[in-house]
Amino acid sequence: MVSPIYILILSLAAGFLLSIIDRGGRKISLAVFYGVLAFNTALIIDWTYRFVFLHAPTLVINTAGFSAPVSINLELGMIQAFVLVFTNLTGLLAAVFLFRKFMESKVSSLILYLLLVMSVNGLVMTRDLFNMFVFLEILSISTYALTTITRTKTSLSAGFKYMMAGSVASIFFLMGVVFVYHFTGNLNLDFIHADQFAGTGLVALFMLTMAVFIELKPFPANGWALDVYQSVDSGIVSVIAVINSAAIGFVFYRLIPLMPQSFLTVFGAAGVITFFFSNMMGLKQKNAKRLLGYSSIGHMGLLMASIVFTIGAPSTVRYLIIGGFFVNHLVAKAGLFWLSGIVRQENIRGWAVLKNNRLLLVLFGVFIFALSGFPPFAGFWAKWEFVKVLIESRMFFVLGAVLTGSLFELIFLFRWLTITVKEDETQLEKITTPDSGSVFATSVFALLATVVAAGVMKYFYNFGWVQTLPAAAALIVYLLDFLPSKLKGFVSLGAVAAYGYYIYPLLESNLQLFFGVIFIVGSAINIISTLNRKNQNRGFYGFLLMMIFSFGNLLIASTYLEFFLSWEFMTISSFLLILRGQKAQRASLLYMIFSTAGAYLLMTGFSFAPALTSTSALMLSIEFVKLPLISVIVLAIGFMIKAGSVGVHIWLPEAHAEAEADVSSFISAILLKAGVLGLLMVAISCIAHAPSFPVFYWIGWIGVITALVGAFMASFQEDAKRLLAYSSMSQVGYVVAALAMITHLGWVSALYLAFNHMMFKSALFIAIAGVYYRTHTRKMYEMGGLISRMPWSYMTVLISIIAVSGVPPLSGFGAKWLIYTAFITKGWYLQAGVLFFASAVSFLYLYRLIHAIFLGQLKSEHQEIKEAPAWFIIPQYIFLAGIMVLSMFPNLMIRPLNSIAMHYFNSSISIEGLTVVSDLGYWNGNFVMHITMAIFAVPFVVLLLLRGKTQRVKQFNIVYAAERPESPETTHVAYNMYAHYRKALGGWASPRIENFWNGVAEWSHTLGDFFRRVYTGNGQTYILHIIMYIVAIYVVMGVK
Amino acid sequence: MISISMLSLILGIALLITGIFAMLTRKNLIRIVIGFSIADTGTHIIIVSLGYLRGRTAPIIDRAVNAADAVQKVVDPIPSALVLTAIVIGLAVTAVMLSFVVEMYRKNRSLSIDDYQELKW
Amino acid sequence: MIKYLAVIVSVVGLGMIFLPIVTGFHEAEQLSPLAAQYVEGSINDLETQNVVTSVIVTYRGLDTLGEVTVLFLATVGVGLLLKGTQEDRLLMPFSELLETTSSVLVAMIMVLGIYIFSHGHLTPGGGFQGGVVIASGFLLLLLASSGTKINHLVLNLVESVSGAAYVGIGAAGLVLAVGFLSPEILPLGDFGRLLSAGAIPVIYSLIGLKVGSELTSILVTMGGE
Repeated sequence: MVSPIYILILSLAAGFLLSIIDRGGRKISLAVFYGVLAFNTALIIDWTYRFVFLHAPTLVINTAGFSAPVSINLELGMIQAFVLVFTNLTGLLAAVFLFRKFMESKVSSLILYLLLVMSVNGLVMTRDLFNMFVFLEILSISTYALTTITRTKTSLSAGFKYMMAGSVASIFFLMGVVFVYHFTGNLNLDFIHADQFAGTGLVALFMLTMAVFIELKPFPANGWALDVYQSVDSGIVSVIAVINSAAIGFVFYRLIPLMPQSFLTVFGAAGVITFFFSNMMGLKQKNAKRLLGYSSIGHMGLLMASIVFTIGAPSTVRYLIIGGFFVNHLVAKAGLFWLSGIVRQENIRGWAVLKNNRLLLVLFGVFIFALSGFPPFAGFWAKWEFVKVLIESRMFFVLGAVLTGSLFELIFLFRWLTITVKEDETQLEKITTPDSGSVFATSVFALLATVVAAGVMKYFYNFGWVQTLPAAAALIVYLLDFLPSKLKGFVSLGAVAAYGYYIYPLLESNLQLFFGVIFIVGSAINIISTLNRKNQNRGFYGFLLMMIFSFGNLLIASTYLEFFLSWEFMTISSFLLILRGQKAQRASLLYMIFSTAGAYLLMTGFSFAPALTSTSALMLSIEFVKLPLISVIVLAIGFMIKAGSVGVHIWLPEAHAEAEADVSSFISAILLKAGVLGLLMVAISCIAHAPSFPVFYWIGWIGVITALVGAFMASFQEDAKRLLAYSSMSQVGYVVAALAMITHLGWVSALYLAFNHMMFKSALFIAIAGVYYRTHTRKMYEMGGLISRMPWSYMTVLISIIAVSGVPPLSGFGAKWLIYTAFITKGWYLQAGVLFFASAVSFLYLYRLIHAIFLGQLKSEHQEIKEAPAWFIIPQYIFLAGIMVLSMFPNLMIRPLNSIAMHYFNSSISIEGLTVVSDLGYWNGNFVMHITMAIFAVPFVVLLLLRGKTQRVKQFNIVYAAERPESPETTHVAYNMYAHYRKALGGWASPRIENFWNGVAEWSHTLGDFFRRVYTGNGQTYILHIIMYIVAIYVVMGVK
Repeated sequence: MISISMLSLILGIALLITGIFAMLTRKNLIRIVIGFSIADTGTHIIIVSLGYLRGRTAPIIDRAVNAADAVQKVVDPIPSALVLTAIVIGLAVTAVMLSFVVEMYRKNRSLSIDDYQELKW
Repeated sequence: MIKYLAVIVSVVGLGMIFLPIVTGFHEAEQLSPLAAQYVEGSINDLETQNVVTSVIVTYRGLDTLGEVTVLFLATVGVGLLLKGTQEDRLLMPFSELLETTSSVLVAMIMVLGIYIFSHGHLTPGGGFQGGVVIASGFLLLLLASSGTKINHLVLNLVESVSGAAYVGIGAAGLVLAVGFLSPEILPLGDFGRLLSAGAIPVIYSLIGLKVGSELTSILVTMGGE
């Protein structure tokens, strides 16, 4: 048990002697240097272990043989140890990162660095205000000097601006300390109390706290910091952004008990404002390090806000929030700054070079996800708890600003990530083999982020292994990614089966089982089509398994948090899968932005919800929860984003179209159902606890309009996958509308349609995947006549579109019959009419699909084309078989659905043998099937007999009126097929919703650009900002 | 009548504000550093003025002050101790600032702060 | 124009912040309890005449160690910044009179400096003041004699060793006495004697040497050697 004062002693002694030691050779001085840093870290880790596991009491160290307040004392408790563990570790690893620099530069840089880390330890431990000032100055001076360790064109002037700002802050700090002594007669924090600052004393406290706050870089008095982040050496910047900020943030944290409420409110608000604006300003930023600077400043603001606004929360929650934000920022920011040192590209577009180095790319991804607050990383938990605290204390403005700011941050971070993954890197200079030290340090931090995440999940929330399974699966497959794709595919299939076997007994109700079949069985069949992939196919099956497992986890989640965790895992994995598409940069970004906005709404909605009393799955226990109106609205919107409802659907066509062909089927057939599931859960809660406003009436309308808009949009597409995407949107619109009725028949039909949609949309997407695999085009007018070359695929599409369109005899008919019956019994006649119209429109696009691709003339380049590979055909026919069976025996599905709905409502249908009877009539699928088959059989036989008289239409039977046109395919009937309908729609066909969202995007970028003009680059102006900021805050706080 | 400590307090504050005014308005880097130095000196004067007690002497126990009633005879030793530290720190900061200026001048041959704003937004 | 307005607003605002302190200021009648404790402790516990010294070296010894460190960092930082790139400059030959007088004067200045820091616990002054005086002697040498070369190794050695010795004495307090930087590792001696007040004069002398060498080395670096 070594006293932590030895950190100071050893560092100082080594620091003083290093220049002498260095005369014996740099190797020796480096050994001493790293030895001391490692000693400090080890010592603090030891103490943290004592505090956490052995419950050691807080350690107080007196100096000079006197106790406080006569002498200066140091304090090391759990919190200090926590801060110091991370700062020392960062200090050590940043030094490892800088190894080459330390090898080459003067010994001075070693001394400065060592004493910088020492001063942070002193600053965190000391209880004496003036001693804080001294350590703060040690910290500042060593940092100022270290900013010049790598001289660039701009680093000197940035360092000078930093000094100007820092010296003004330190003058105020000094004044504050001295006036505090004047008013209280003490300098030791243990002996100073908030009530000693009545009247004029508040001015003293103001100066003290304000000086610390200025060092934390509040907007807009922080231009100097941005310049430093942009221009100073990456290793040193990581120290400034992380270690300095942490130490000063901790000083602020410790001054909190002295501050009156007026101070706290203003500082908290200033923190939130900083977070909001710096993220908004980051939107326009192209320079990677400056972007990280904006993000760092924002995160310090968030940290301050969380320190202030969680004062009323239970202490464990409070520590989780503050600690979570702190660790998250520290690890991710240091990691990203180090990466910027390795990549050496100023513009974010240049980061595409990371593609050449898989490890670095993965590290980059980990840090971006961590920084954006995705699970399992610490920021996720902190944000979740913070939102809860904010809602409990009814701080809605803060909530809004925090979530909007987070969304801005997400946008620029993911724009960066997607550009890095998708931008062409061939023009760029490759990364010169990076230092092993740099890569090591960065990797350790990614690992640290993961370890912290695991710790939080295990020790704070007591999650079981299933909750972490999605992330674990991704990790394991990443490690095994060198295996050939087919092997991984079969193993994944096995894993999904095993997972299904595991969760089957956990599914207590038919409802869960129903979605279990969609999620797990549907996914398993879809996996077959991926077996066609060749080579190693890296980074696919991990994310796929992650997505499938998180679907399943949604069903067994028993708390809001577990549900939301799985939801976010699902978002991450589906995003990464979409990102794999060749031109998916914009599509995946759009998906991410909308998904995250939805996730924030869910987070808000769940936080408003009352606590759960049951331990069964959330899907079931939600029945007994009375969701407040706001919660219902917010949750419904959040889930409808995932379900692609009109207004928030614009991610949907992009994502479906640009994802890889075999991924689209997962997204459309299965992922959209997760949104349906969520909406259903909200509806379940609303059965017994109808909200005061008819939310679901309007959701019903949204569903209906979605169905109509989707159908129209689908008709106007040239791109087959886009067409199917809009078709999915339209179909899910039906499901949403049917759900929204909250009646027995409504739900039976909604679930029936959902299941059908899963089958026929899987079949269609896989069929189109097969066609794309052979033709390499998605444009329908570039195809045609493929019936002769790809008859199996043709059959799939034919059967599926019959099922979609809802004509007899296939299962779609039953679905439509049920829906209209439900609407009419509910009395929603107008809605039923619109839906009926939408159904008519859907004939247009379905016809277009089959006509343009399979009928008509075969293109000359497709003469020799082959049928799609078997791996595509097999799953299609499994789904087709399902459709046929359900068409023949619809009661196989109706019966369980009836029982599911009967749990919530009185049954409105009866099932007699093969017939379903409702108030309005009956439907016997089996009978319909036989009749229709007979009707079809007659002309088929006739045609067969007349076969000899058919005449083949040849390529040159087509005659052009004039010359051969430039691009003949545009004269094809399949090109712009429904132009006349489009014309008839007039202004209604213009993409209003897309224009609206584009406008939102443009406005936020313009605003961000407007505000960042305050950073003129002139150091003097920055000082002016600081002084004016101090004066303004003084006035706002009303200190007298 | 205005006391001597009050007078020096006002003087200190005046110096402090003057120094900051100089930092805000002077274009020359060296003058900005001088501005900081003036402001810093202002703080030192403020510190000393806060420790002063009328009619008392320096806190050194020699012939002028009897050990027995020293508490009644001397001024507050704490600000004196603090100001010493503050002066040294101020000196250190000034030294580093000046070397920045020297290097900036060497690199860019300009002492005007307006010539150092290539980083912005 | 707007900028000037903003400057005036902020300066007036600053004045406004300080105003309540001035208007509400009244001189203390008594020492604060803490200050009184220092005065009594200095006499009774530390046998130190100069109360300020006992505050600086013992009671707030950690501050002083930090202060020495700040100065040290400034030296190191200035050294890192000014990489010794020498400028051409016009050197006027110095007059013989100046050189001779200054060398005599320097010796006296050094003695004065040593006196000041070694008697810091008895009389006004101490390590910092003494150190500055010593450095001013070197400054005189640098300015007044053309051929002055200050030995870097010696300067460096004094600087490092005195610093390390200071830390070492402080650490010895942990082992031999009651805490870090405790002066009681040496006998406290009789009040008012040169060899009294425990380790205080030793520490102050080390500080004097360190400050002197540090300031000198800043001067040397800044002067471009």
